[in-house]
Amino acid sequence: MKNAAKKIYLGLILILLYAPIVTLIVLSFNSSKTRSKWGGFTLSWYRSLFDNEAIMNAFYTTLIIALLSAFIATIIGTAACIGMQVMRKRSRSLFLSIANIPMVNAEIVTAVSLMLIFIAIRMNMGFHTILISHITFNIPYVILSVMPKLRQTNRSTYEAAMDLGASPMHAFFRVVFPDILPGVLSGFLLAFTMSLDDFVITHFTKGPGIDTLSTKIYTEVRKGIKPEIYALSTLLFVTVLLLLILVNYQPEKKASPVKKTITTGFRIRTAMVRRVLPALLIVVVIAGGVYYSSQGVLNSDNTVIVYNWGEYLDPDVLDEFTEETGIEVIYEEFETNEIMYPKVNSGAIAYDVVIPSDYMIQRMIENDLLAEIDFDHIPNLKNIDPTYMEQSRQFDPENKYSLPYCWGTVGILYNKTMVEEPIDSWSVLWDERYKDNILMQDSVRDAFCVALKYLGYSLNSTDLDELTAARNLLIEQKPLVQAYVVDQVRDKMIGNEAAIGVIYSGEAIYTQRENPDLEYVIPKEGSNIWIDSMVIPKNAEHKENAEKFIDFLCRPEIALKNFDYITYSTPNAAARALIEDEDIRNSVIAFPESDQLTDCETYSFLGDDVDRIYNELWNQVKSK
Amino acid sequence: MKNNRRLLSGPYLFWSVSFIIIPLLMIVYYGLTDPEGRFTLSNIAAITTQENLKALGLSLLLALICTVICLILAYPLAMILSTSSMNSSSFIVLIFILPMWMNFLLRTLAWQTLLEKNGVINLVLTVLHLPTLDIINTPYAIVLGMVYDFLPFMVLPIYNVLSKLDRDMVNAARDLGANGLQTFIRIILPLSIPGIISGITMVFVPALTTFVISDLLGGGKILLIGNVIEQTFKQGSNWNLGSGLSLVLMIFVIASMGIVSKYDKNGKGAAF
Repeated sequence: MKNAAKKIYLGLILILLYAPIVTLIVLSFNSSKTRSKWGGFTLSWYRSLFDNEAIMNAFYTTLIIALLSAFIATIIGTAACIGMQVMRKRSRSLFLSIANIPMVNAEIVTAVSLMLIFIAIRMNMGFHTILISHITFNIPYVILSVMPKLRQTNRSTYEAAMDLGASPMHAFFRVVFPDILPGVLSGFLLAFTMSLDDFVITHFTKGPGIDTLSTKIYTEVRKGIKPEIYALSTLLFVTVLLLLILVNYQPEKKASPVKKTITTGFRIRTAMVRRVLPALLIVVVIAGGVYYSSQGVLNSDNTVIVYNWGEYLDPDVLDEFTEETGIEVIYEEFETNEIMYPKVNSGAIAYDVVIPSDYMIQRMIENDLLAEIDFDHIPNLKNIDPTYMEQSRQFDPENKYSLPYCWGTVGILYNKTMVEEPIDSWSVLWDERYKDNILMQDSVRDAFCVALKYLGYSLNSTDLDELTAARNLLIEQKPLVQAYVVDQVRDKMIGNEAAIGVIYSGEAIYTQRENPDLEYVIPKEGSNIWIDSMVIPKNAEHKENAEKFIDFLCRPEIALKNFDYITYSTPNAAARALIEDEDIRNSVIAFPESDQLTDCETYSFLGDDVDRIYNELWNQVKSK
Repeated sequence: MKNNRRLLSGPYLFWSVSFIIIPLLMIVYYGLTDPEGRFTLSNIAAITTQENLKALGLSLLLALICTVICLILAYPLAMILSTSSMNSSSFIVLIFILPMWMNFLLRTLAWQTLLEKNGVINLVLTVLHLPTLDIINTPYAIVLGMVYDFLPFMVLPIYNVLSKLDRDMVNAARDLGANGLQTFIRIILPLSIPGIISGITMVFVPALTTFVISDLLGGGKILLIGNVIEQTFKQGSNWNLGSGLSLVLMIFVIASMGIVSKYDKNGKGAAF
């Protein structure tokens, strides 16, 4: 009876621990791309995984960083332990408490502090900054594993060896080291695992074009995880599982289990380490070498660093560009203008091409962050409909800094089967009937645009009373909102998770393709009409390549290809003329008539102070 | 000779000064200055604004709940594991270390799939004609995610202490007439305190400071202090304010460490 209860309890905990893992494994065989829908069994993600350069690169980076950082941390940490052993007690305990700092301190604080120091010493964020950070938080784990072992060693054996004529080095490696080896190895493994699983610290210390699996996944969370990631994780998991089973079912040689301060678990892993790790090590290091040499090419001058919205460019276009020009594209993505701006502003990363929205471009121009584009290098400018150049003057008065990339509106996407009547007003977002069925945009300006327009104010309002009213309205709305998301609106609406979502017009065509029940509308109170344009930051290091890249994107056939992929309205008249599907070429969603846009405004930059007020008010909404 | 050996700590000393001490001083510097570099306390005082206080309060509350739940779940588990006859060491590896090889973001994200309105759990519940579970995007989901992610950090230290517990003590207590409950309360529990304490810190601090779990399972509706700091740095780009808030967070971490070290007389708990 008692045993049965124990078994049931263990079983329940196991279910808790492994339910998510089983879910992920199941998802890796799901032929539907959306997480929330089962589309049948497939193995295709396992096949496409190895073709997916971005994921494989992230995977290798993760492994190499984990291996290198664990290795270096083990050397530094072990040496430190040996040195500390002969120290006075007081300095030793001081050392140990320093070692404890990264372990007990909040991860986010450690991460932030490292980011600040890298920026202060003007170190470019990249592979090496991640490596340094990982070594920093790995050393304590090594010290913690080695120190107890070292305390157990018998000093006299070491002295005896020296008495018998061994040199200190010799004595150490022959006498002391074998004793502490299990501690060293378990420290290494612990460090390796910690580095592998880290997200927070990498998130703050990484640079452009470099991703570990964690950061890759984090950016993908917003727009839907690529199923290949599930496949990779499943492979990794199964490999480790097999290794562990293999090692654990071999007869244990150790006769007397000594009581140790490390867990028995780590001792077992130590055994595994002896056999498997050396082989693993060699394989990964060689792979790392290969990977590195390919990275070396990337570090050459012939690159262009592009910083764009998530899911906002057909990856094939990048390949074609590289193929034709030989210029490597380092591609980074952001989720909102507000995330993009500080990154460019801090100058820690020198982007060559950035694609922000109208009001942000105005802000970047005002703060002198942009370089003038030499339009002589961009002959394909002729394809751009002059209306959009004209509209761009609102934020770039002399058309000197920017070139339109996409444009569209903000509106409501709704599921016809889940609402009672056709929707034409923002008021539906405050309708009690749709409680928990509403998705709001998680970005300041878009959220306030909705509230301000609903109230009949300008979405560029700087009037504190109007803004406060908008804030109150948003707070009032909060209980009805299912979630504040950015790109996830798309997947959630396709998966019927919500009835109504605030979304950009460009997503409407794609979502309708996937789920015909969805309908897009620009509310009658008016909304935001926006233009995202390509700009070149002042600190760009490859300006010529940037101009080549911009010109390439303005080619009709490339712009068309891109439009097919991202489905955001293109300002490229030549490309629009090439659209074969008449419904789309004349779609009022993709290319609304001007009478639909009468009450629509573009955002303008309101100045840093008003910006701060918007942010504060938004924070008040979010934290309610 | 001794001096030579001491030099071996040199690289470590250099490393920790450059990448632990100085960075922390940077936070202190940024936290106590305004963007023009003038001394100010306003970044620290920013914690008293209503929304930051609320985020901090909620973080403390959720971290506390999570720690308590972890403790309640972990203690019996550790007892069962430490007394079971099976090859528990390999078993522990299997159940606790193995999941760490599946990325922690993915594992947390999988809970979204499980908990969603049309998610797996609700599908099962509907089939069984049971009421559905609507906790996604609420603090409950966040606590669940935290418990899930941090449970191993509670189980391992307690298990370590319990498995090293001298069986003779327990037997002696029983010989002297104590019943099962008395033995537990008077002998086992007091002896396992170091494990409990180090488990508590290893769960409480990460739970207090997380921003990822609340991000993934809270639907962007629930701001914890970690989210506030992350946003201040990454979106607001206000390093001074972010550093100030980080300082406040550090004070709470240090305070909880202080409370812990008061109870943890055996030095460094029994974490590993």
